[in-house]
Amino acid sequence: MRAITLLAIATSVSFAQDTRGRAADPLGRLDPSTRYAVEMLMDSARMVGLPYGPLESKALEGIAKRASSRDILVAVRRVFRSLRDARTALGPSASADELAAGAGALRVGVVGSELSHLAATRNGNRLTVPLVVLADLVTRGVPRDTASLTIFQLWLHGAADDDFLGLWRSVERDIVSGTDPGVALLNRAREIPAKGPSTAVPPATGVRPEDAKS
Amino acid sequence: MTRQTLPVTAVAVTLALLTTGEHAIAQGASELEMRLEAGAARTSGVTALLPTGSMAVTPGLRYASRGFSLETKGSAWLNGQEWRVGDAILSTETRSPTWHGVRGELLAIASRIMASPADVSNQVDAAGRLHFIRERTGVWVGSGIIRPLRIATVANASVYSGGVWTKLRSTTLRATVTNVLFTKFASNDTVSGGGAATACPIVTSAAVAPKPDFGPGASAMTLHTSPSSCRRESRLTDVEGGVRWEHRLLELSFRGGQRFGERVDVTPSSRSWGSAHAAIWLSSQFAAVAAGGSELAQPTRGLPARRFASLGVMLAYWPIPRGTVLVVSPINQVHAFELRPAGVALQRLTAQIGGVERVEIMGDFTDWSPVPLVRRGRDHWELLIPMGQGVHHINLRIDGGKWFAPPGVPSIKDDFSGEVGVLVIKS
Repeated sequence: MRAITLLAIATSVSFAQDTRGRAADPLGRLDPSTRYAVEMLMDSARMVGLPYGPLESKALEGIAKRASSRDILVAVRRVFRSLRDARTALGPSASADELAAGAGALRVGVVGSELSHLAATRNGNRLTVPLVVLADLVTRGVPRDTASLTIFQLWLHGAADDDFLGLWRSVERDIVSGTDPGVALLNRAREIPAKGPSTAVPPATGVRPEDAKS
Repeated sequence: MTRQTLPVTAVAVTLALLTTGEHAIAQGASELEMRLEAGAARTSGVTALLPTGSMAVTPGLRYASRGFSLETKGSAWLNGQEWRVGDAILSTETRSPTWHGVRGELLAIASRIMASPADVSNQVDAAGRLHFIRERTGVWVGSGIIRPLRIATVANASVYSGGVWTKLRSTTLRATVTNVLFTKFASNDTVSGGGAATACPIVTSAAVAPKPDFGPGASAMTLHTSPSSCRRESRLTDVEGGVRWEHRLLELSFRGGQRFGERVDVTPSSRSWGSAHAAIWLSSQFAAVAAGGSELAQPTRGLPARRFASLGVMLAYWPIPRGTVLVVSPINQVHAFELRPAGVALQRLTAQIGGVERVEIMGDFTDWSPVPLVRRGRDHWELLIPMGQGVHHINLRIDGGKWFAPPGVPSIKDDFSGEVGVLVIKS
């Protein structure tokens, strides 16, 4: 076992060295014009106080996935816009993780006002996990309004990160089994007991009144 | 009849225990597995005349695809100064496509056990099963026949069985009930033991006409051949439960059961059985294995119950033929994917992925450069990776294929016509 542990540590160390080596010029694999545009966006993000790491990461992801320069630039611009919109929606006190999660939610179609509702009731709690779950649910086909409203209701009722992750696992399992994504979410959300005070739920933007009552 | 000359059986069965049948449950893509096991086995409870310790080498080959699997293995054992082939088993399983969670299965097994050149036992088993599978749980019922050859004490046996299994994370639980009905030619041994049948005259093979063709070992095997008046219908019911647990480099399995039947068919020593098997992978293709416990009697082969203990090593090789076309989505090949803290800003990533040659990840924490996972054991892949707290994006790739979001973590579109997994690492 000691040999295995040493091997694992050696692997890890060698991996870390590899990563440091690559980090010298991570954008060197971009063509000059795309690299210039990406770096301009990163500078813009830095100047307005947004995290610029996600922009660089998106560019590297595009390179690794052999995307075209044009697609990479479009993706990086989209990340920049979504980060900016996420900060507007979540407020200046939002952490970098919350901004990244909120930007992900915005990119799959969640609207800013829905994030604002969540941010307005955070009471010091981290929004990262609820936003990650929200983005995933919309990606899996749950109607945006249903997903936003359900996550918001659970958030208001004091659901914790583990509740959101448990909900996500259950819904994913149901969807794989053939259940309609929206129905799966509503059914599973009812199984989570309320932990906090019940508050009137303001309907999210675009939510039909009958949906808001459910 | 109780055959007293089968130490090889104990060795073979012991080593056969080292390979379990869980692969069929999780089968996704085609795979070829070759293995060679070697070890020492100690047998007791059979006879004092037998050597209690043996060395055995057990090569095996298994091919499995989505609808078909074939497995063959044998064993050679060292008796004194001489190596001898001990047994050989060929088994096939054919599975129909699953329709509304139900599939049909056909199983066929041909096996030969040789205690000595003059003492050979052949058997053919065939069975059909209806298997209802839902996610990580299954229920099956089936029936079949056992055709013993060269065993004069038992005619064809009918088998009716049912079982249930479920997978809870890395643990597989199963329970089976098996009914075996067979016609037994009562011998003086069994009559005196149980007292349920009338005394039967011992008839030597020379007096039996026509003499059944039992092959080279007929003289020993036909000693108890009896007239039809000594036939008796026997029924055995075996209830067995088992647990198999895999955790990183360790594989543990336990099984135990109870046999119900008349006293004439089931001796007190063979009413219950239990065994344990452990394997720890020391490298990707080398494992230390140990097993011990008791094995139930096999009346259709005339094999008594026995106790055993073994210690050995196992070598395995999983070559994937070039050009193999996967018939399932790569994500379905990933049976488990976990991330656990392994120190300050260090995470231990583990995955259970069977039948593949190479597994890689990449994410923002690797600057989106692929990093291969290290194989540890059968289907276990592992990597220690620096990853601080925060939101991270991750992709997984199998055998150089398409990047995808690993199962078990939320995912979002990646802006490049794919998806990425989203990890939230807390402090």
